[in-house]
Amino acid sequence: MSPLIPCPKCQTRLTDGNVNLPGLSPCPVCGTELQIEVFPALFRKVAPVQSAQPVMVEGESSCFFHPQKKAVVPCAGCGRFLCALCDCDFAGEHFCPACLEAGKSKGKIKNLDNQRTRYDSIALALALVPILIFYFTLITAPMTLFVVIRYWNSPRGLVQRSRIRFVLAGILALLQIAGWTALFIAIYTRHH
Amino acid sequence: MSGPTYTRLTRERVPRQFTFSAVSAARSSLWLGDDHLLLVDRNGYTETYKRFYFRDIQAFIIRATKTRMTWNWILGIPAGLCLMFVIFLAFDVRGFDAGAITIICIVAAICGIPLFFNNLFGTTCACQIRTAVQTEELPSLCRLRQTRKVLDKIRPLVATAQGQLSPEEASSKMMEAALAEAAKPPVVWK
Repeated sequence: MSPLIPCPKCQTRLTDGNVNLPGLSPCPVCGTELQIEVFPALFRKVAPVQSAQPVMVEGESSCFFHPQKKAVVPCAGCGRFLCALCDCDFAGEHFCPACLEAGKSKGKIKNLDNQRTRYDSIALALALVPILIFYFTLITAPMTLFVVIRYWNSPRGLVQRSRIRFVLAGILALLQIAGWTALFIAIYTRHH
Repeated sequence: MSGPTYTRLTRERVPRQFTFSAVSAARSSLWLGDDHLLLVDRNGYTETYKRFYFRDIQAFIIRATKTRMTWNWILGIPAGLCLMFVIFLAFDVRGFDAGAITIICIVAAICGIPLFFNNLFGTTCACQIRTAVQTEELPSLCRLRQTRKVLDKIRPLVATAQGQLSPEEASSKMMEAALAEAAKPPVVWK
């Protein structure tokens, strides 16, 4: 990507004058008020990708995946030796592609986790929304309890870690079940 | 194993493309991690995370928008009309209609309170973050004052990871880049 930043409105590449100023300044073409804060990474030259070196000396450690290439680093996940081509530098640690993929799919590497399902919100919605049409709670209350129990230990959101929604959903579901039970008992006793 | 800890930078906001959809479940918020910013996009019952590491952040681009003015018109016209009606009814020679005035005052409050807060929060803006491979909108940074506060928190962290650039230094480097780009031969598609 070019270090020249385009104006978000007219896409004109801004060449000077508008960057790292304390306040807003107009785009020279469209006049949109802009404030642009740039950092040294914008002007950093991208280092060329290092190619894997062949094994030169007999007995030298070689890459697990490319036996003819020289090993440069062990994988932080499985400990296999990796050449420069197989080395995936991630957040200061070195992984082989297989461990990186496994870390992502199994959620072992937290920083690769990019999506989560909020089962606690699902449980709470399942407990709350059917209250509007109360008859539905006969079905949804047990469903809510199932979701709460089944997903109690599942990973919650990255930024909100409390189980309060699960607790609320569970309490509501139990109350709904208790209400239905009391109703059925009352009907049963009235008929007998 | 406990994950990284995050500090909230912004409250959840509806992304701009969903501003007028009242039932939208889409929400976006910004969090500060140990070595990165975390953009959380919540859509119903799933959360999507985007991480911007301090060492990779190239720029923040803030653009002043006219959203505040638009909302001022949308809310101000009914509020003004209600106020006129109230004055008209209060001085009506046929009598004082307390019921009508109460209803109009409620409508005026419904429009007037958001109008007040819209102006209290200040100028609206749109903020983008740029890295080497992407330019992402940060929907939760939608007020200039709040965006600057957040930037004041982030700036030292990015400067620790990358170093600092003065306005003069940045301008001269951008000029150099512009000259280098101008010197490149044009791409001819055959």
